[in-house]
Amino acid sequence: MANSVNISIEAPIENQIQEITYDGQEIYQAPLSMSENLARLAQKIDFSKSDDEFCNIKKEGESNTDPKPDDDSKDANYQSSLWPWESVRNKLRNALTEVCVLADVLNIAKEKRYMVLDPVQPEQVDNRPMVQVYGRKKALGAAAAVLLAGVERLRASENMRINRNMPDFHIDLLRLRQNWRLKKVSNTIVGDLSYRTAGSKFSQTGVFEVTKAPEEQMMQAMSMNAAGPAPSALRVTVPPELQGVAFISVLCQKEQEEVVTATLSSSALSCPGTLPGDGADLHWQQKLEAAQNVLFCKELFARLAAEAVQLDASIPHMVVGNQIMATVLPGIQLLIGLCHNNGQNNANANPEGSRPEGAAGKSDHDHVLEHSLHQLLRAVHHSNTHHPFPHPATGPLGPSKRRCLAGPMAADRYELLDMSKEQSLLEQIIQQAQHFFMRRRSEYVLDTIAKEVKDPLIVSHWNALNSPTQSCVKINIMAYGYDAVCRTSLVVHVGEKTLKCICRDGKVRHLSYELQELRDLIYCQIYQHQMTAVQAVGRCMGWQLLASSSHLGSGPVEPLGNASSCLLASPTGDRMIAIRCEPSVGIQVFIAQSPRKDFFASELVQDKKWENLGGAFKEIKLDKMEGKNFLNKMELLMACLSSPT
Amino acid sequence: MHRNLPQNKEALLKSYTTRLKEDIKSMLENFEEIIRLAKGERGESESQLNRMTQIEQDTFEMQVRAANIVRAGESLMKLVSDIKQYLILNDFPSVNEAITQNSKLFRTKQQECDQKLMSLRDDIAADLYDLEDEYFTSIYK
Repeated sequence: MANSVNISIEAPIENQIQEITYDGQEIYQAPLSMSENLARLAQKIDFSKSDDEFCNIKKEGESNTDPKPDDDSKDANYQSSLWPWESVRNKLRNALTEVCVLADVLNIAKEKRYMVLDPVQPEQVDNRPMVQVYGRKKALGAAAAVLLAGVERLRASENMRINRNMPDFHIDLLRLRQNWRLKKVSNTIVGDLSYRTAGSKFSQTGVFEVTKAPEEQMMQAMSMNAAGPAPSALRVTVPPELQGVAFISVLCQKEQEEVVTATLSSSALSCPGTLPGDGADLHWQQKLEAAQNVLFCKELFARLAAEAVQLDASIPHMVVGNQIMATVLPGIQLLIGLCHNNGQNNANANPEGSRPEGAAGKSDHDHVLEHSLHQLLRAVHHSNTHHPFPHPATGPLGPSKRRCLAGPMAADRYELLDMSKEQSLLEQIIQQAQHFFMRRRSEYVLDTIAKEVKDPLIVSHWNALNSPTQSCVKINIMAYGYDAVCRTSLVVHVGEKTLKCICRDGKVRHLSYELQELRDLIYCQIYQHQMTAVQAVGRCMGWQLLASSSHLGSGPVEPLGNASSCLLASPTGDRMIAIRCEPSVGIQVFIAQSPRKDFFASELVQDKKWENLGGAFKEIKLDKMEGKNFLNKMELLMACLSSPT
Repeated sequence: MHRNLPQNKEALLKSYTTRLKEDIKSMLENFEEIIRLAKGERGESESQLNRMTQIEQDTFEMQVRAANIVRAGESLMKLVSDIKQYLILNDFPSVNEAITQNSKLFRTKQQECDQKLMSLRDDIAADLYDLEDEYFTSIYK
């Protein structure tokens, strides 16, 4: 018993397997119930067939009855012989059985007490087409909905663009392409705003990215300003170092003790605000132009800073942060600063910038010099790309025109060396600043002299044609009313550090930047003018010039120039006018009469003839005389002295 | 196409053509499949699945195929946009034309400005001469 083995006994499958689940379990069809079984069996009864069988039997019986004496079928013969109404009885019994069965069936069907008649499902019920049709209809409907949704989306986006007048990305891109360099790098559109193609050699790149503006933002922008210009469908992204506004500030100022602190703060002040409008709202063209300007200013400043370090000036240039300091003239500094306001460092620039000196610092900014700087760098760019012919078609380099001519002209070493020298931007701008100062100072000197000296009028005419480093002024010295009689004109060429004066007599004088020299020269010219003018007036009045000297050796030494004098005699010869002109004192006029009308013989002078030698000169108080100016007074004096009475 | 394009450009253009063909083919195939499903040509007898499951599967398949058609359509739109972009970025003749036009415009503008400035300068110079004369000869300085 201990070693008993479990034997599993399984009943043979009596029922049909309906399904085998994944775990191997078999699900059987439930056995038919009695009623079902009966119903199935009853259904199997073929009344017609059994009828036929009966008929066949009957026929057999009939056929058998006819050949009665046949030995072949003893059994049948025996029956028929035994019971001739056997077949009838059988038929009747069969009929009775059938009727009974029918009655039973009817009873069962009618009473429903023990059994129920159920319609048996037909084996193959074909309700499939309708389900499939509905299913397919639904499926097609769903597919169509998907298609329609897709179409609707396309159409909606197209409609929105057309109806709301949304800008087209591609149109904008075309505009952008026509103005800027673009290329496609993998999936992004990248542009270049640097001046490389224009001849710049600055290392910093000016790459910007073009993207499509999100539609919501566009909608927002459109709703914000419906009347304004349509927003662009493009968005350009410039690198942060090129964002904002930049400019080169150029200041000329007197040298200060604390240069660095003073200048740095003043340059930070003059930084302008951001561009009008927010950064995102800005049109791409303006944005790119601003970025390009930033790049340009950076290049300019980088170049200037490099030059400032390289140049060995007598007073070294200083580069501090974003500021270059150079001495233009003794005591005057040129400050070149790079102001870049990209919105980020605005915060730390502002605390200082809120001071009221900001306006003053801004007004000092020299726009002309700033413009010149821009012009100079552009000229450099231009010369980088435009080489004089002939040059190799492929080579970007070529000898300059002067170099080309150096061979045929047999230039020597010094000339060639001279050619290789190139003026740097900083030198050029310093020259321009120097010239600017020289011009301003000369203007000031001439104007103040014109104010100080009323008698001969000093009229200065500035020439309209001039270059950034040279201008020219013509000075006329004349007396009011006597401009036809005598006028002294001189021309002053204002250069960078020197002045060149071309006087009336053809003498050329070179003056330094110290403007006292110009002042002295003009004063000398004024007195010289007075002397020549008096002589000219005298000539007109018929007076005779006895003597004139522009450089008198007598008298005290003049601080500037020399005293000059002249001596005039009246037409009759009995009156004389002596004029002495000392620039430091002024003009003195003396008159003398000889012979005097009344002569009294004295012990020393006994004869009247000695009176003709001329007598003592008496000074005339010019300021008490009538007359508009010196020449007028002299004319009146001469007229007075000429009259016989 | 006849120009000597760089290889990658050529490849890009070819890829555009293939994209076009693929998208159109995808549209057509998906449409045909939908029609076939609708017709029920697929033999039902061999399917092991229940009818309802089969119908569900067909429904989903149709939806997916319809979505494929939509995708192909949008891909075509994208292709159109890409081709436009390519044309805009690489159409150098038109860009050159635009540049020439711009430079011509700016040159004429520059000339105009120069002329105006010159005449302005001449006028101002003449006036300045008179004004200087007047100022320096007057007693008010």
